[in-house]
Amino acid sequence: MYYYIHMSNPFGTYIRTQREARRQNDSSFSVRQLATRIGVEPSYLSKVERGETPPPSEEKIRRLANELNDDPDVLLAMAGKVSTDLQDVIRRRPALFASLLRDLKDAPEHAVLRLVREVRDGEW
Amino acid sequence: MIELTHDSLSFSFPEVHADARMSIEFQRTLRIPDDGKTHFLPPGMGRFPMKHVDDYADKVPVRWQERGGVMLPMFQSEAMWMRFHSQDRYPFLLKIASGKINAVTGEEWVDGPNRAPQDYVVTPDQPWLDGYCVKKGEIRQFVAVPLGKGYTAEEQITGKAEFGGVQIVAYPIKKEEWEKILAERAASRAQSGKFLSQRLMLRCCSMDMGLAPGGRMKQDITEDPYPMDVWDLRNSSRCFVHIANSLNWRAITGEAPPTIPPTAKDYSDAGLPWFDLYQDGPAVEGSEALRGLKTVKDLSAEKGESILPENEPVPTVSIVELGKQGRSIVREG
Repeated sequence: MYYYIHMSNPFGTYIRTQREARRQNDSSFSVRQLATRIGVEPSYLSKVERGETPPPSEEKIRRLANELNDDPDVLLAMAGKVSTDLQDVIRRRPALFASLLRDLKDAPEHAVLRLVREVRDGEW
Repeated sequence: MIELTHDSLSFSFPEVHADARMSIEFQRTLRIPDDGKTHFLPPGMGRFPMKHVDDYADKVPVRWQERGGVMLPMFQSEAMWMRFHSQDRYPFLLKIASGKINAVTGEEWVDGPNRAPQDYVVTPDQPWLDGYCVKKGEIRQFVAVPLGKGYTAEEQITGKAEFGGVQIVAYPIKKEEWEKILAERAASRAQSGKFLSQRLMLRCCSMDMGLAPGGRMKQDITEDPYPMDVWDLRNSSRCFVHIANSLNWRAITGEAPPTIPPTAKDYSDAGLPWFDLYQDGPAVEGSEALRGLKTVKDLSAEKGESILPENEPVPTVSIVELGKQGRSIVREG
């Protein structure tokens, strides 16, 4: 199935499309009920879907991902965010991971599915 | 190239052949009694955990960082054996040393293999190695002792406590030789089933450690069945395996080391089996230098120290024969 994602509001458009697809079979995916479950006002969720307000916090996005059975990292990326645990990983070794990500950015997916770590040999 | 995967060292040589892969794991086991008898093979009791030295650079000695490689935990007087595995049965030549003393010849480490006397093992013909080759068909079990107390093979031979640990270098067979082997296998597939030995595993201080000779065990070091020129000596990978005292393992890694294995007596009293590998090929003669080493038990008696607890003789009640065509190929406890 293909969804039209509005490029100026990819996050909101995607959330609305996913929510409405679920609401076809499950009335608990109304704006009101979903908003209540993730802990926001229905009017706020409605504005997010329409792109009238920026995407919510990481915590609310994670709850949305859980409700919609979606990947939180993908939703965070759509919202222009990076998960805090990944930020911590990069902050601990910024030069190494910045270099690694830049080296891998154009690699095909099959090439980055598995990173090989060689056992280092020293002087003995 | 060597990787650390699931607590085993995975060697691969994609530049030689896609099938040129093998792994070495270090198995926990019972320490056999050093009581003058020649014992059968004890079981495997799971792999020792292994870590990259680089991941704990601030917690290990500087010389470990300089040598690189990996580390595993062993308790004082704990025993181990090495299991060699290649899914495709690709032949490898392996030189193995402890404290840079060759485990087959007792000579100090030199680069490159030597045929006369043979200073290496050949896999898959040699499925495992349990100790120092002291004479034809007999080894003395690898037993962990603190480095610097005079017990290790390294200290007894060189008079120095410099390296400890285990050193391994692997050479694959040449690509064209492997292709010949594949063709021969395809031709004789009808006679399958020959020699598929497997030694199945039971599922059940000082930081630097070295290995010393323990009790006597029945085990051949198989003679190299190939001419020397089949080995691809231009391609090799080597690894330094440091042995950390298990008492320090949690301080280094934050993880608990494996528990101490049961004693050989408890194991035998429970009626659990020992193993005997059927080997019909020629075996290397064994090393006079290694034969002359004092065992941990002999040296601790001389020194008036007690570093080898639980050395009681064991009745070997149950023996499982492995590897003989038509017999069980399972070694388990």
